[in-house]
Amino acid sequence: MNKRIYTHPILENLSTNEEISFSFNSETLSAYKGDTIATALLANQIRTLRYHEESGSPRGIYCNIGHCFECRVTVNDYPGIRACLTLVEEDMVITSGKKLPQPLKHGGEENA
Amino acid sequence: MSTLIVCRCEEVSLETLQKTAYQYHCSSRELKLRTRAGMGVCGGRSCRMMIEQIATAGDNEKNYETETIPLKYQPPIRPVPFGVWGGLSDE
Amino acid sequence: MLDAMIIGAGPAGLSAAISAAQHGLHVEIVDEYYQPGGRLLGQLHQEPDGEWWNGIEETEKLLEQIESLHITIHCSTSVYDLQKVNKKWVTYTDQGNWESQAVLIATGATESPTPIPGWTLPGVMSIGAAQVLTNVQRIQPGERGVVIGVNVLSFAIARELQLAGVDVAGMLLPPPHLLSKSEGVPQEVLSSLLRFSHLAPSVLMHRGAPFVKGRLAKNLVTAFYPEKGMGVWGIPLQLRRTALEIKGKNQVEGIRVAKVNRKGELRNAITHDIDVDFVCIAGGLSPLAELAAIAGCKFIHEDALGGYVPVHNEKMETAVSGLYVAGNITGIESAKVAISQGTIAGLVIAKSLGARMINGKINEALQEVESRRAAATIQFHPHVISSRESLYKTKKTQ
Ligand SMILES: Cc1cc2nc3c(=O)[nH]c(=O)nc-3n(C[C@H](O)[C@H](O)[C@H](O)COP(=O)(O)OP(=O)(O)OC[C@H]3O[C@@H](n4cnc5c(N)ncnc54)[C@H](O)[C@@H]3O)c2cc1C
Ligand code: FES
Repeated sequence: MNKRIYTHPILENLSTNEEISFSFNSETLSAYKGDTIATALLANQIRTLRYHEESGSPRGIYCNIGHCFECRVTVNDYPGIRACLTLVEEDMVITSGKKLPQPLKHGGEENA
Repeated sequence: MSTLIVCRCEEVSLETLQKTAYQYHCSSRELKLRTRAGMGVCGGRSCRMMIEQIATAGDNEKNYETETIPLKYQPPIRPVPFGVWGGLSDE
Repeated sequence: MLDAMIIGAGPAGLSAAISAAQHGLHVEIVDEYYQPGGRLLGQLHQEPDGEWWNGIEETEKLLEQIESLHITIHCSTSVYDLQKVNKKWVTYTDQGNWESQAVLIATGATESPTPIPGWTLPGVMSIGAAQVLTNVQRIQPGERGVVIGVNVLSFAIARELQLAGVDVAGMLLPPPHLLSKSEGVPQEVLSSLLRFSHLAPSVLMHRGAPFVKGRLAKNLVTAFYPEKGMGVWGIPLQLRRTALEIKGKNQVEGIRVAKVNRKGELRNAITHDIDVDFVCIAGGLSPLAELAAIAGCKFIHEDALGGYVPVHNEKMETAVSGLYVAGNITGIESAKVAISQGTIAGLVIAKSLGARMINGKINEALQEVESRRAAATIQFHPHVISSRESLYKTKKTQ
């Protein structure tokens, strides 16, 4: 579970934000304005942002500050967008990277 | 136990890197080219130190006085979206 | 054309922009993050006097000055190349290019991971990722997790997680392999831990600090270190437990733990599994110097500074004319030091572009760096002061 932290003993309370809606892999979800794509998905309990292009292993955020490029998603048809650096916007269409067919590897077999 | 991956982008394991380093007794650059470790989308930002460490593990003499980073950085250090290659767009 | 382009809106870049603009320079800042502040934003720790160092408030203080000086910050703008073309610097970004007379690179640090089998699973993240989630983005990294790697940063952030209501089931050592080095050795970790015992005075000072004078004493302390670990703020600090493997199918479900001896070796590996839904890996920080490398800087390797740093002097000048560095790119230190280094860089750039009567201020700023360095609550390496001294004495940048 990835819960929002509304109150905090030292930091100010989270000022509940405007709700916005967006889609991830065709599913309509809602988040707060000010969320990154990564936190918007975490708040919806979605951690897997893509699957490794060759092995198909699931990947989520690792560094959360733009260095590792693990969080790449496709946003409104633009591939390779870092989910941890990009704010989610109303009606954004986000899709996650999939394992690519590997016709030349492993004798051409193509299974997960 | 699952394998220990060093380069996450290209999924290169510690075992592969160590074997290659041993077999070819290679520099970090050669190790990178042979295994593809450090050649993925992140440009080796996460694993370059580890590749260097593996390549130099056998040597007692670590040559730090070369004044250059062993694994050279090359532009672009971030992916460039299409359409950006052009003249100065701003002042 | 700008007088100076500043790359990085962390504490170093912001303070450099302020001091340069105060002396009449036209500067702008680019940063790839969606808000300014860099890694200062997530910081939250208690100073020895009980006051909290709140990174969000500290960032706001800097931004107030940025605003009153009408400095533009271009966020969500990634720099991918930096070149000198016809005696002008060109900063290439995904949002367009900028020309300037001088460039300051203030790109900070990056985390160097210690890999662990299973670390590509969703739910495994760097300790810094968890800090940003918790303190800036206000979402828990998970319900219950462990921190692998015991160092000053993970120690501070484990506390931050706990403050935000996250259950930290323990702090463990990374598995012993080539890439974990001394981070996997209980004795080494314990002695480094005692250097920042002021962050948890009640526990660590009393238990360990008086003993750690010599090598022998250090052995004694680890010998007496409770095998099951001891609680720091209620978080079990387990120096005799190593994380062998992160388990899970589609995301983190648990972690396999083994006992190690004092040298960090696995003893006939009695293992057990702990249920967790997230894992933080804390391997340490190193300077993020890629732009300095492609712009032609020479480098030097200094363990005390976190690895390879571009050769520079105490005035933040590199050997490349018109190119300056400040903050964690010059070595891993706290944000207060980065702020003072930024002030120096801004002043020195202003001087190089013709600002006058500025030497006194530069000297003041140089002294401020030294005093802040000496008084730092979070010091990443015990030899940072001597390492800086020898770098600035021996390396000529001109
Ligand atoms: C994950 C992490 C957590 C840390 N936590 C603490 C802590 O709790 N306490 C503490 O004292 N110190 C901490 N530090 C150390 C921290 O680096 C310093 O305290 C301080 O923030 C350094 O300031 P800086 O201005 O040099 O760099 P930073 O604050 O790191 O700022 C650098 C900025 O440059 C930007 N940038 C980098 N590359 C590019 C590029 N190519 N294009 C555009 N922009 C770019 C980044 O987005 C970033 O905003 C942490 C460091 C890291 C990496
Ligand atoms: S999580 Fe590392 S780049 Fe986004």
